[in-house]
Amino acid sequence: MKVSKWSEKLFGTPLFEPLVSFSYLFPLLYIVVFLIIPVLAMLAVAFSHGGHFSLYWFKSILTSSYYVQFPPQGDFAVRTATATGETVYLIRGIDFGVVINSLVVAALVTLLASLMGTIFAFIMARYEFRGKNFFRIVLFIPLLVTPFVNAYVIKKMFLDTGLINYIFYELLHILPFRIKIDGLAGVVLAQAMTYYPIVYLNAYASFINIDPTLEEQAENLGSKGFHLFRTVTFPLALPGIAAGATLVFIFSLEDLAAPIVFQGDPLAKKLMSYQIFSKFLYGLGERSPEIAALSIIMLTLAVLAFLGIRKYVSLRQYAMLSKGGRWKPRVSKPRAWQAAIIYVVLLPLLLFTIFPQIGVVLLAFSKQWSVTVMPQGFTTEYVKQMLFNPDVRRYIINSLMYSAAAVVLIVLLSVTSSYATSRFKGILTPVLESLVIIPIAVPGIVVAMGYFYFFSQIFPNTPLDPTNIFNFNPAFVLILAYSIRRLPFSARSVYAGLQQVHVSLEEASMNLGAGRWKTVTGILLPLISLNVFGGAMLSFVYSMSETSVGITLGSLNMQYAPITAFMKDIMMSAAGSAQLAAALGVLLITVQILSIVLVNIITKQRYAFIGLT
Amino acid sequence: MVEVKLENIVKTFGETVALKGIDLHIKHGELFTLLGPSGCGKSTTLRIIAGLDFPDKGRIFFDDQEVTYLSSSERGAVLVFQNYALWPHMTVYDNIAYGLKIRKLPKEEIERKVKWALQLVKLEGFEDRYPTQLSGGQQQRVAIARAIVVEPKLLLLDEPLSNLDAKLRLEMRSEIRRIQRELGITVLYVTHDQEEAMAISDRIAVMNVGTVEQVGTPREIYEKPKTEFVASFMGKTNVIPAKVVERHGDKVTVEFEHFRLEGLTYTDKSDKVVIVIRPERISLHPIENAVKLEGKVDLIEYYGFFIEVVGMFGETRIIARTISDKDVMGLRPQGPVTFYINKDDILVLPKQL
Repeated sequence: MKVSKWSEKLFGTPLFEPLVSFSYLFPLLYIVVFLIIPVLAMLAVAFSHGGHFSLYWFKSILTSSYYVQFPPQGDFAVRTATATGETVYLIRGIDFGVVINSLVVAALVTLLASLMGTIFAFIMARYEFRGKNFFRIVLFIPLLVTPFVNAYVIKKMFLDTGLINYIFYELLHILPFRIKIDGLAGVVLAQAMTYYPIVYLNAYASFINIDPTLEEQAENLGSKGFHLFRTVTFPLALPGIAAGATLVFIFSLEDLAAPIVFQGDPLAKKLMSYQIFSKFLYGLGERSPEIAALSIIMLTLAVLAFLGIRKYVSLRQYAMLSKGGRWKPRVSKPRAWQAAIIYVVLLPLLLFTIFPQIGVVLLAFSKQWSVTVMPQGFTTEYVKQMLFNPDVRRYIINSLMYSAAAVVLIVLLSVTSSYATSRFKGILTPVLESLVIIPIAVPGIVVAMGYFYFFSQIFPNTPLDPTNIFNFNPAFVLILAYSIRRLPFSARSVYAGLQQVHVSLEEASMNLGAGRWKTVTGILLPLISLNVFGGAMLSFVYSMSETSVGITLGSLNMQYAPITAFMKDIMMSAAGSAQLAAALGVLLITVQILSIVLVNIITKQRYAFIGLT
Repeated sequence: MVEVKLENIVKTFGETVALKGIDLHIKHGELFTLLGPSGCGKSTTLRIIAGLDFPDKGRIFFDDQEVTYLSSSERGAVLVFQNYALWPHMTVYDNIAYGLKIRKLPKEEIERKVKWALQLVKLEGFEDRYPTQLSGGQQQRVAIARAIVVEPKLLLLDEPLSNLDAKLRLEMRSEIRRIQRELGITVLYVTHDQEEAMAISDRIAVMNVGTVEQVGTPREIYEKPKTEFVASFMGKTNVIPAKVVERHGDKVTVEFEHFRLEGLTYTDKSDKVVIVIRPERISLHPIENAVKLEGKVDLIEYYGFFIEVVGMFGETRIIARTISDKDVMGLRPQGPVTFYINKDDILVLPKQL
């Protein structure tokens, strides 16, 4: 009888069992050591000035007009002319200073993405119309992630000679003048188009999961049309929509790809993520407290958004009433004006939002794309380069290996942490639950900076030390970063699987004499294997396209750099060819499509979800 | 076969006290039932005996061995779960053989035992099916086979019939009784259904909000309930608030409405009491030495194999039950009626609820 008071308190089971302790302590210590402590290491730097604790750097940032600027500077739109004398309105946005710019951009992106995501989700969840399957398939395309190239195509779309002007100015004559979107406005557009599918997926799931009887009861009491939507449908779906919106807010805040692509306009550089990134790259080897302080500000904003939504959603966990009975989805035919909106407004909008992915593929096979609407000339040169150039191939192999290694760790972390939190109720349970999900709220660039301070301090002059310019090997650091950053995707999937397995199935096994290990491996793992697989694939795909850590720490030694670091180099250098980056983008898209198809075939799930709650 | 003793078992979940100090003694080879409404702590008691939960206080003995903190896998008290807990990724054979494989029995012996268990529950030929391909009753029998095949010291059944339809429930009830007699094992049975408990048990413990109210044979529990709760939980009965107005040793006179009932047996100190009378013990025709209650008819309800007459005695409703049509001839709603009750059939218990 190994009765342990500690085990009962911490783990919620009075019998001390090594496997249970491991399930709690391994993920807990892992996340503390490789996420919390690095962030704290950065905190220590940010709060010190002249060897003492000080708010100096925060004060200096928040009082500098470079970071916070009221009233804002610059004109929202400027009138210029093309070489041929046509009027062009250049829209760039206005400058509130770096910190406020980031907030404004993230807020606008969240608003746009939520609007688009919710509208598409609603019509897909509630209307039956011709071509709905086409919508369904097409809506899946913007989910495909191609760092940098995606934003690059969007930038081309909104050039004065781009697709938008071609259609609305040259063809349809709707615009009375040409427009060009650049700077912060460009970043907003690029991010909104990239991230709206996240809201779409969350909102769609929310609409689908509303118990139809709740709406039927409202109708039965006389509510209909927009009133029904406003009073019943929307409030019930709001927690899901808000969760998606918060993710978009955080992703926008931390995004580096769009600012890097739009950096030709200095205004696009005035964002926190870009500032941390560029100051890090140009002040290489310097442990700058200013970067640390800026990272802390960004982290605080992201974490606040995250905690806010967690609180809100947990307060509004509506238990759906339905017990048994038929779950008849509420799908109706749109009326004439609704159909008109679907085909005249939403369909073109949808096609615009998949143009980036189309553009990436076209670009990968084209000779050049300068000031034309579409890329010009056909060539397989860049795809060949990607496949056969040993340098490029090395980056691909690096990424594959790092991602695979990270996934092994992620699976172990997800299974142990989910097992501990779903099966036991000790005081460590809520701690571990939060730790597993918190990486979503920590911007990648903050992880990168945290690791920079952490590893340079703990392992100086070893291959783990990022300031050890010629000997640094980022492999280990990148695998750790991927395993932390992409853990929530897999952990959520495994946790969901565990919740579907009734605990009595395990109890029956132990009751019949099986030990904990035998019960977990013989009963539990076979029953949740599909969830583990689905989660692992999702984590793998998003590890392959990981940007923030890859292009900072990962690019310190190009010998061991991942794909994204190489793509960034191409996009940032004037000599680089965007086509090669696009070819790599096509490769990433291919990997993503294959994984999603594989997951769908094997687990029979329709979507791979990105969510928060 | 094992004898089970529980000593002062206390269990709390957060703020709620689920068990407030339970003492039980389950004898060798007996079918013992924990009976009570939902939330009374019967399932918690069962899980603690199975080693799936652990008490905050108190001790559990199997024969003379203390097992309080022995893990479920080492305890040998095998539970049949309310939802059967059949592993959906294993066939019927693999489900049943699981416990035997854990015990590392030779393959031939496993085959022999699984076959024997399947015969016992009358499911020969179902070895290769998966649980989802079975009906509820069949699943339940697989769950029982899986438990008995390891020859448990103690078999625990948690509301095993609650997911079955009425007809199947009766059938399985006698099956369980048959298997228990055949194997002679000690069985602890949990249910909220008093009829099921009476039909199947050697002895019953009636539980209420974390305490044991009474332990006894079905007959004792039904006919000599010790508390108002037990009396009212065991089937439809008349529970009439009254008060003691006179005492002579253990004989008392009690009063309700304007009726005085003399010479009833009662020993408790409290004067606030209830009178408990089973409806079927009330006669509608005169009998000797009976207490006579005169009132008027409120309702006559026809149930098929019996008829109930609801009488109003002042503000008090009392139900009488008869199987004779003759008894109710001449009765009509609002008309007069007389109930005759033998004094031995009137129980006086301290008021509790």
